[in-house]
Amino acid sequence: MNSAINLGITFTVTFVATFATTPIVANAMRSRGITGVDVHKTSKTKVPEMCGLAIIIGLAIGAIVYCLTMTLAVREAAAFIGTVLIAGAIGIMDDVHPLGARTKPLLTALACVPILVLGTYVPYPTIPFYGTIRLTIVYPILIPIAIAVTSNSINMMDVMNGSMPGTVAIIAFTMLGVLLWSSELRTATLASGLLAAMLAFFYFNRFPARVFGGDTGSLSVGAALGALAILGRIEAVTVVALIPHIMNSFYGLSSVRGLRERREILQRPTELLDDGLLRASSRKGAPVTLARLILAAGPLGEKDVVRAMMMLTAVSSLLAVFTYWIMVYVK
Amino acid sequence: MKRILLLAAIEVFVWFILLLITFVISKEVIEISFGIGTLLERVATQTVRLLVSATLILGWLLAWKKVADLYLSRMLRRHGTSA
Repeated sequence: MNSAINLGITFTVTFVATFATTPIVANAMRSRGITGVDVHKTSKTKVPEMCGLAIIIGLAIGAIVYCLTMTLAVREAAAFIGTVLIAGAIGIMDDVHPLGARTKPLLTALACVPILVLGTYVPYPTIPFYGTIRLTIVYPILIPIAIAVTSNSINMMDVMNGSMPGTVAIIAFTMLGVLLWSSELRTATLASGLLAAMLAFFYFNRFPARVFGGDTGSLSVGAALGALAILGRIEAVTVVALIPHIMNSFYGLSSVRGLRERREILQRPTELLDDGLLRASSRKGAPVTLARLILAAGPLGEKDVVRAMMMLTAVSSLLAVFTYWIMVYVK
Repeated sequence: MKRILLLAAIEVFVWFILLLITFVISKEVIEISFGIGTLLERVATQTVRLLVSATLILGWLLAWKKVADLYLSRMLRRHGTSA
């Protein structure tokens, strides 16, 4: 009962904090001229950038409240919020002065330091059909890779209004469900905070976007997902839930042959038509992204592309739940 | 809706192959053994297990990419453009 109350409190506080902070951060960014052009609109509106700061603030306030209500779980909360803060700091650096294509994943890998230092991981991940596997030496090496992959995958999905918070909210909801199922109540409470932050931010970032999260938001949110997967021991479930995001980044990277900063890629995967619809680029060198795959079957509005992304994330999330069922019941 | 169903089918395919590979690794690859008596035998066993698993995962990634490329080129062709 206490756990349910703590979860509810963390969810509510994170939601209110993110919801209240986002317009304040947006106004501050606008007044400093930190804005970005909404490229998928014919009007080319300028939208305040770096508003992902509000997500970080919301998650931090939620984590503090979580620590106050669950005093035994301070280490987990510190590891989680430490990872988010480091990734967020790298995001701020990238938003202010774009980092190189290789520097960014390397730096985001460092965001895992709090998890490693506080020792909030269990090097015995569960693999479907096999059960628990002992990886005492390899697991700590895999943690920075996991954080770099999740944060950069979410970053690469933050391409349209609402695509990042919309899809991550679905994944966070799935993780919350699986964590409750596996009785990982502490991590479930942190997952509820992420879900709350995503729902609050989605309200402002959905079509037509009034705020952009920037790399500040997407890298910190991606790192949060990776941290939750490690803390809650649901690595396989998270990989399956992230299939659309991995699909997007993997296709993108393989089609442009390696790590490239998006500003370096001259060909765009999608084209904006005069009527405001988007269509897939037919150019040979254009990156193969999830948006391009969705649009390959014909032009759509930005809102519909994001809806398709969210539906595909819902499918992968269902597969993730089914994967967990296999992990529990099929040996 | 049709486009979502096709892409969802790719997701299910990717997930199914991933599970299949996990099954093969956990039931077959893990059974590969050249003995555990000497350090050389242990290293050989671990190396072969790792190589076989890595090859299977690489195959999974390639199959994933192939299916996506096929979908993209067919869809673009059907809609009057070529990739």
